[in-house]
Amino acid sequence: MLYRTAGQFKTSYHADHALFPVRQDAILLGFILLLAFVVFPLTASEFTFRAMLIPVLIYALAALGLNILTGYAGQLSLGTGAFMGVGAYACYKLTSIFPELNIVLAIALSGFFSAAVGVAFGLPSLRIKGFYLAIATLAAQFFLVWLFEKWAWLYNYSASGAIQVPNIDMFGVTVAGPNATAIVQYYFVLCVVCLVTWFAINITRGRIGRIWKSVRDMDIAAELVGINLMKAKLSAFAVSSYIVGISGALFVFLWRGAAEPVLFDIPLSFRVLFIAIIGGLGSILGNYLGAILIVALPVVISALPSALGIPIASATVEHLNTMIVGALIIVFLIVEPHGLARFWAIIREKLIMWPFPH
Amino acid sequence: MNLRPDPRELAAPDDGIAKGAMLLEVKNVSLSFGGVKAITNISFDILKGEIRAIIGPNGAGKTSMLNVINGFYTPQQGTIVFRGEERRAMKPHHAVRQGIARTFQNVALFKGMSTLDNIMAGRSVKMKRGLGWQMLWHGPALAEEIEHREKVEEIIDFLEIQHIRRTPVGKLPYGLQKRVELGRALAMEPSLLLLDEPMAGMNLEEKEDMSRFIIDVNQQRGTTIALIEHDMGVVMDLSDRVVVLDYGKKIADGVPDAVKANKQVIDAYLGVAH
Repeated sequence: MLYRTAGQFKTSYHADHALFPVRQDAILLGFILLLAFVVFPLTASEFTFRAMLIPVLIYALAALGLNILTGYAGQLSLGTGAFMGVGAYACYKLTSIFPELNIVLAIALSGFFSAAVGVAFGLPSLRIKGFYLAIATLAAQFFLVWLFEKWAWLYNYSASGAIQVPNIDMFGVTVAGPNATAIVQYYFVLCVVCLVTWFAINITRGRIGRIWKSVRDMDIAAELVGINLMKAKLSAFAVSSYIVGISGALFVFLWRGAAEPVLFDIPLSFRVLFIAIIGGLGSILGNYLGAILIVALPVVISALPSALGIPIASATVEHLNTMIVGALIIVFLIVEPHGLARFWAIIREKLIMWPFPH
Repeated sequence: MNLRPDPRELAAPDDGIAKGAMLLEVKNVSLSFGGVKAITNISFDILKGEIRAIIGPNGAGKTSMLNVINGFYTPQQGTIVFRGEERRAMKPHHAVRQGIARTFQNVALFKGMSTLDNIMAGRSVKMKRGLGWQMLWHGPALAEEIEHREKVEEIIDFLEIQHIRRTPVGKLPYGLQKRVELGRALAMEPSLLLLDEPMAGMNLEEKEDMSRFIIDVNQQRGTTIALIEHDMGVVMDLSDRVVVLDYGKKIADGVPDAVKANKQVIDAYLGVAH
């Protein structure tokens, strides 16, 4: 009833190419943006910002980057964590070499470094596919993390081998470093994520998105409709790694505040890959749903017993947490193997048809 | 009221070749895979504006011939002259840019994409706006998208597939998939269209529809067509000239009636008593 699309006619291709051909989708997104930009900042505590809101956004952005490569262009990658690391270290070096550089610019530039590294490690995709390519990107994962440890110039020869984010101001407000407040960092991350998501939506629904999807669905046929496979694959690696690199820079500068090489090791790659798969490959929305399930839900579950006054030992809560989240992942993948985004698409379809079954 | 657009509006690009003049010439082409000779010293030509059928028993080298023409295989010997340009090796995406489009024996659509997106993908080569404009979407990229959408909608109308515009092609029945594939090839506005068994696995009604589309494309848009087909009734009715292959060799070439009466062709199809 709420999702009735009857009576919404398109009379021009312009209207048909709108971001939300169905009015209710636009209203729903407006509501979510209102929550994100107004309601959460007014109500959330420091803990909620740091433990849930900011990481969900950053992980969703990383998953979005990976999704462009794996979900849209069909190139499986296991090196996401390392590409995030490239973005983070590039941003760190940029801000330490040019301390006057605007932080937004530094983050935007650091994406180019990870894009270049991504393209270099994407070259094998011209010869190999599927799991074999995944193993090739695994080489990037191990090599880059090794490089972060061994190349002391990257962490300015600090004794700990870790990078520390200094206090960085933008227009008189501290946005990164120990003095930054959570709400400022939240807004910063939210704006970057919204902007990049909008760009990603535009790219994936246009010519380049179609080219990527053609390569994913049948590369031989793609070549025979005139698509240059090399360009298509490498551009997917470049755009994907750019977004992943930006998310890596945000990960360290706007959330962790410090990082050591092991942070970018393979568990991070897998975590981002899980978000993308559970959210739904080949979908933009899915990255957010996946990030909420994998990043935010455990935090909610561990905070719940104490909030409700239930006396359970914190170790037990942690075990319960792992069990519940693990079970949920399995349930969701059995109910809808194509991910949460598809789950939502089915619900939406049912809502449009309601109360009729077909 | 008839809303179908006049297919003449969708005319193939003018390639400066007069109707009836040589569009493509295959010169002494030989192709082998290791010790297997797929094509042995074959020569034939395709004239602008005609429907040229390539027939032969299974394994005669018909599909290999198409793969040579559109650059998917590189022949060991011989050359291809297309629009006056002689070549042996070429990348398939260059062949497309030169104006050769094709469909496949086994449908080769992008299964996860809608009918509309599949046909739009056929126009990728003609669209120029780069990543920067695509990111912003509004402005030049959208204008270009709409311009090509209009062309694609004309093709959708022509092939009568409006009702499946938004359906992922993986969910479509086989006959419609073949039609979408033809639509994708037409979207490239080719001057030479290669059809590899466009009617395989179709029932009579679907074959009649497809034949009508092929004739319309040929006559009203002026697109030259090279066609592989096993249904002899269709081949003899549709085509202007037929070339017959058997075991990688050319055994006959001519108008349908002459080919039908050719002793070697009858032997190849029916077998000979030794």
